Amino acid sequence: MRLPRLERSTSRVDIALRGGVALYVMLLVVLPLATLVKVGFGGGVAGALAAITSPVAQSALVLTLWTSLLVAVVGGVMGVVVAWVLVRYRFPGRGLLSAFVDLPLAIPTLVAGMAIVALLGPQTVIGAAFAAVGVKIAFAEPAIVLALAFVSLPFTVRAVEPVLMELDPAEEEAASTLGASGFLTLRRVILPPLLPAIGSGAAQAFSRALAEFGSIVVVAGNIPNKTLTAPVYVFGEIESGFPEAASAVAVALIGVALLSTLSAQSLERLATVNRG
Amino acid sequence: MKRDRKNGRLTTAIVACAFLCAACGGKGAGEADPAAPGGGKATAAPGEVTLTLAAYTTPREAYGKAIIPAFQKHWLEKKGQKVVFQESYLGSGAQSRAVAGGFEADVVALSLAPDVQRLVDAGFIDAKWGERPDNGMVSRSIAVLAVRSGNPKGIKDWEDLGRADVEVLTPNAKTSGGAMWNVLAMYGAAMRGHVASAKAGDVESAKALLSKVFARVTIMDKGARESMLTFEKGVGDVAITYENEVLVGNKSGLKYDYVVPKSTLLIENPIAVVDKYVDKHGTREIATAFVEFAKLPEQQRAFAEYGLRPVDAAVAAEVEAKLPKVTDLFTVRDLGGWPEMIEKVFGETGVYGQVIASLGR
Repeated sequence: MRLPRLERSTSRVDIALRGGVALYVMLLVVLPLATLVKVGFGGGVAGALAAITSPVAQSALVLTLWTSLLVAVVGGVMGVVVAWVLVRYRFPGRGLLSAFVDLPLAIPTLVAGMAIVALLGPQTVIGAAFAAVGVKIAFAEPAIVLALAFVSLPFTVRAVEPVLMELDPAEEEAASTLGASGFLTLRRVILPPLLPAIGSGAAQAFSRALAEFGSIVVVAGNIPNKTLTAPVYVFGEIESGFPEAASAVAVALIGVALLSTLSAQSLERLATVNRG
Repeated sequence: MKRDRKNGRLTTAIVACAFLCAACGGKGAGEADPAAPGGGKATAAPGEVTLTLAAYTTPREAYGKAIIPAFQKHWLEKKGQKVVFQESYLGSGAQSRAVAGGFEADVVALSLAPDVQRLVDAGFIDAKWGERPDNGMVSRSIAVLAVRSGNPKGIKDWEDLGRADVEVLTPNAKTSGGAMWNVLAMYGAAMRGHVASAKAGDVESAKALLSKVFARVTIMDKGARESMLTFEKGVGDVAITYENEVLVGNKSGLKYDYVVPKSTLLIENPIAVVDKYVDKHGTREIATAFVEFAKLPEQQRAFAEYGLRPVDAAVAAEVEAKLPKVTDLFTVRDLGGWPEMIEKVFGETGVYGQVIASLGR
């Protein structure tokens, strides 16, 4: 599915199309976000920095970053496994399984949060069993990680899938006929071409996790300095009339998300080149 | 071949332009849509008038099932005019911001006065709105403690919420205007000297009480209703909430009790005509009539039926005989009024902010 490389065209239609699309994206994405940056820096750079480094905001950002990173790593590993099964095996229910992978993007994440609490809340069988051994799932970090894994599941799977499809099984067969173990084949033959795609998918999953609000506000407990994530903190500051603090933290999130999205893009490009 | 490609590109360009136009057109139409947050479309036919009510969610049934139908009947009999209502119910703060942001409601019924004040500050409501009888309020409630059936943890007063064996629920006052009542109820009880560990008039000991209680809070939901839903699911031992929430919960068959602290806060819910929009719509007369109508005994009884305490003295007397007594019932005015409380308690360096910042450390 590699896109043909096009030369830079100078026909009027092409210029109009490019300009139109640039304008559309500017109006839709860049303009609102730029306005937010302006609000966030309304009290100067020092004010914005103070807002981001206030203890509650800082702990919210740290919690959001580490849970999102964890989810990106777990999603990276599990994404490859899921994609592998979907690409390499034919079994009844495979289409349905594939549809389930995409489902998290199609439902309100609030519903995902409700489902997690309904399954793992302190009053449920599983929740009570974990509580008995002193492990809190719902309204604590484990539920945050679960919810983030839920909402970012499709990204790694869908990033790795096309690369896996193009991978030639003959190479693996050759490796094993030459005496390579399964693990060696995986490490030397299968993984290298997949790595950029895994990285790209993980980076996308990371950006998605950074932004998650709907399910988190239900499952996390939202206790400042403990289970309050940055998006929920931003919501609280907006609701209680501190738009500057909200915007400053939002801008920090946007910055990290932009870096992550850009690296996802360059990894994707690398993945495409590798395949070509 | 070359021609084909060019045609293809032209088609792409046309599709893209059409999409752009649709996107722009869509935005324009969205702005013109009067019913921004919720509310069905209703356009007035001749002889009809449309009135838009922006309310918080608690009195939804009282308005929707009792007061609005009664008013429609009343207005048709009195003026021969049919009133079509657009009702929108959201969290009080969100509703207030929506109206300030251009949601053209004729009447707002909100949870707390500061949400009306926002509209006064933004120039939508005349500053004199609170000079009407009952200070512009239409219904009341009190801050109470919802406990499990039979009160197994023996919770009696605010101080019990700081006990190590008690798990407390309260919504986040940063996201829920209603939750501010909970904080002020505790703060006020301490400041008025009705909490054993707190010295009357001593902010530090009031703060100590709040810190102890908030250390026992395990879930801070986004809003008051969500917090009660979490409690109803079986989480926590006690939920700081409002009497009406418990009464409505009991009415719908849920079994839990409530405890009235010795000293607690009288919650007062305002209703107001949105001056800027009624003048624009030419609905001042009918909007004012609706606000006055909601204060009549019959309508006040409707609020009581849905668990709220009426502001009408006669109806309040009927209802209060059936409700638990409060030893020391105080209002936000007794604490110095909303502007002062917002600054001293909820401001960036206020008591609540300090308590929240010290959580989880």
